[in-house]
Amino acid sequence: MTEGMRLRQVRKSFGPLEVIHGVDLVVGEGEFVVFVGPSGCGKSTLLRMIAGLEEVTDGDIEIGGKDVTDLDPSQRGIAMVFQSYALYPHMSVRENLGFGLSMANVPKAEIAAQVDAAAKILKIEPLLDRRPGQLSGGQRQRVAIGRAIVRKPQVFLFDEPLSNLDAELRVSMRIEIARLHRELGNTMVYVTHDQTEAMTLADKIVVLRDGVIEQVGTPREVYEHPANTFVAGFIGSPRMNLLDATVQGTGKVMVAGDEIEVPSIDTPNGENVTVGLRPEHLVLSLAAPGTLQATVDFCEYLGGTRYVYCQLADGQNLIAEQREGEDLAVNKVVYFAWKPSELRLFNPHGIKLV
Amino acid sequence: MSAVARHRRQRQKFWGGFGYHAFGIGAALFFFAPFAWTGLASLRTGSEAQQPPLPPWPTQGVSFDTYAVLDTFGAGIWQHTLNSALVALATVVLTVIVSLLAGYGFSRYRFPLKNVFFVLIIATLMIPFQSILTPLFIILAKLGLNNSLVGLVLVYVTLQLPFSVFMMRNAFDAVPREIEEAARIDGARDLKLLVRVLLPLVMPGVATVAIFAFLNSWNEFLAALILLSDNDKYTLPVLMTAVRAGRLGAINWGAVQAGVMVMTIPCLAVFLILQRYYMRGLMAGAVK
Repeated sequence: MTEGMRLRQVRKSFGPLEVIHGVDLVVGEGEFVVFVGPSGCGKSTLLRMIAGLEEVTDGDIEIGGKDVTDLDPSQRGIAMVFQSYALYPHMSVRENLGFGLSMANVPKAEIAAQVDAAAKILKIEPLLDRRPGQLSGGQRQRVAIGRAIVRKPQVFLFDEPLSNLDAELRVSMRIEIARLHRELGNTMVYVTHDQTEAMTLADKIVVLRDGVIEQVGTPREVYEHPANTFVAGFIGSPRMNLLDATVQGTGKVMVAGDEIEVPSIDTPNGENVTVGLRPEHLVLSLAAPGTLQATVDFCEYLGGTRYVYCQLADGQNLIAEQREGEDLAVNKVVYFAWKPSELRLFNPHGIKLV
Repeated sequence: MSAVARHRRQRQKFWGGFGYHAFGIGAALFFFAPFAWTGLASLRTGSEAQQPPLPPWPTQGVSFDTYAVLDTFGAGIWQHTLNSALVALATVVLTVIVSLLAGYGFSRYRFPLKNVFFVLIIATLMIPFQSILTPLFIILAKLGLNNSLVGLVLVYVTLQLPFSVFMMRNAFDAVPREIEEAARIDGARDLKLLVRVLLPLVMPGVATVAIFAFLNSWNEFLAALILLSDNDKYTLPVLMTAVRAGRLGAINWGAVQAGVMVMTIPCLAVFLILQRYYMRGLMAGAVK
C-alpha cells in the first residue's frame, strides 16, 4: 500500500505544557483511520495539526510523501469537516461549496461543474440555492462534507462530524460516510469519542490517551487483543471487566478467592496481574461451583440483551451480558464461566501478557 | 369545534390583530409627527413663516422661500452641507476601517498586555471630551491642522474609536472560530479572509459603528465651533446657530425649520440604508 500520510515524532506544546508527546503514525493511501480516546486525549489537537490549524512544535507531517509541516492549510491537500459544520452563513450552498475553488482562482465554469458533481454525490442538488440557515442539521452536515469533496483533497479530516446530530440521523450519516469513503477512496482521518463510529467506520483505529498513542490496529485487533488495560477498558461497551488477580503457580491465578485457569505465563508467584473478560463472553449459570462466584447487584433489561451487574466476594464489580434466561433476583449467587481463549491477561503495569 | 366557538375565536383574533396594528400605527405617528411638523412648516412662504405656528402646514401655497433664505447665511447652504458631508463620511470611513482591524486584532490575536490595552482604550470613554478641547486645539495647531476639516475628522475619529473598537471586538467574538478555520482551509488569507468571509458576518457591528460615527460627527457642534475659524469651513450645526441667532435681532423661523430639515434628512437616509444590516439571524446556520 502506498503511503497516504505519515506523522513522525509529532509534538505539540502550549507554553510549557506538552499535550502531544511524540506521535508516530503511518496511514496507507485510501485508509480510513479513526482517532478515539477520552476527552482531552489530544485527538482533536492532532487532527488540527494535520490540518495546519495548530502549529507543530516538533516533528514532521507528510501527506502523499510531501512534507507539509510548515505549509498553509490550503496547500496541504486536505479538507476538513467540522463538528459545528462551520458553513459560511452569508453564502448560498452553491457558494459555500465553490468558495475554496474560487479562492484558488479556478474558472467559473469548472467550479460550477465540480459543485454540481459534489452535490450529486451527496444528493443535495435541490438545496444549492438555499442559505445554511434554511437547512436542517443533517443537510448542513452534507453541505459541509460537500465543501470538503469539492476541494478534491488527498486526505479528508473529520472532527467529530456527527456529534451534533440526533441519534437516528447519526446512524444514517455514518453509513453515508462509509459509502462516501468506498466511492471516493480517499484517505480519511476521523476523530470521534463514539465507539460505534470508530468500530464501524475504521480500517484502522488509533487509541489515544494523554497525547500518546496507546494502540494502533484494526477494529478487531483493538477489540480482541487490546495492548493494555486502558485500551481494554476504553473500547467496548459495556467495558471489559478488569479484575485484580494474584499469580498462583503456573497457569493459575486467584481472583476474589476463586482459582481460575489462565495461559501459562512466567510471572512469579504472588505477583499481581489483571484478568480481562468481556461481558458478552461470560456464561452465567446458577449452579456450577469451581468457576467465578458472584452476587447479583442489579440487572438492566435492554430488550435484546440484559446486563447483569455483579459483585465478587472481595467487592470487585463485574458486568455480564446475558442474552437469554430468567430475570435474576438481587443478591442471588451466580457463577460465571468462559472459553479460555477469551480471557486476557495484563501485567502489573497494565501491559498485555501473551 | 362548533361553528359558534369558531366564530368567537375568529372575532377574538380580529380584535387582537386590530389592537396590535392600531397601537403600532399610533406609535409610528407619534414619532413621525415632529418630522412632519418641521417639514410642512419649512414649506410655508416667507411672510407666513413669521406668523404663529398653528396650523403647522402652509396655508398660502407651498413655497421653497425658506430654503432660499437659508442659503443666504454664511457661505451658502451647499458649502456648509458639503463640509458636513465630507467630515461625516470621512469620519465614518476611517472609524470603520480602524475599528474593524482593531476589533479583529483584539478578538483573535494573542499578544502581551492585550487586556491592558483594551481597558485603556475603553477607559478613555470616561474622559469628558470638553475637558481635552484645549490640549486638542494646541496639538492640532502644532500639526498645522487647526481650522481644517482634516483636523476635525481626526478629532472625531479619535473620539469615536473607543466605542467602535469595543463594538467590533464583540462582533468578531460572536463569529465562531471554526468559520475562520474553514475559510483558511479553503485558502482565504489575511485581507481576503477579512473581506470575503468575516466582514459580511460582522456587518451588524459595522452598521452600528457607521451609524454612530455618522450621527455624532454630523451633529457635533462644540469641537467644530472651537477648532474651525473660517466662515466657509463651518459645518451645519455651527451654521445653524448663526441662523438661530438671527439677523439684527429678527429670527427667521422659516429658515430655522428649513435648516432642521436639511440636517435631518441625511441622518434619516443613513439610518434607513443601514438598518437592514440589523437583520436578526444573520449568523443562523453557521454552526450547530
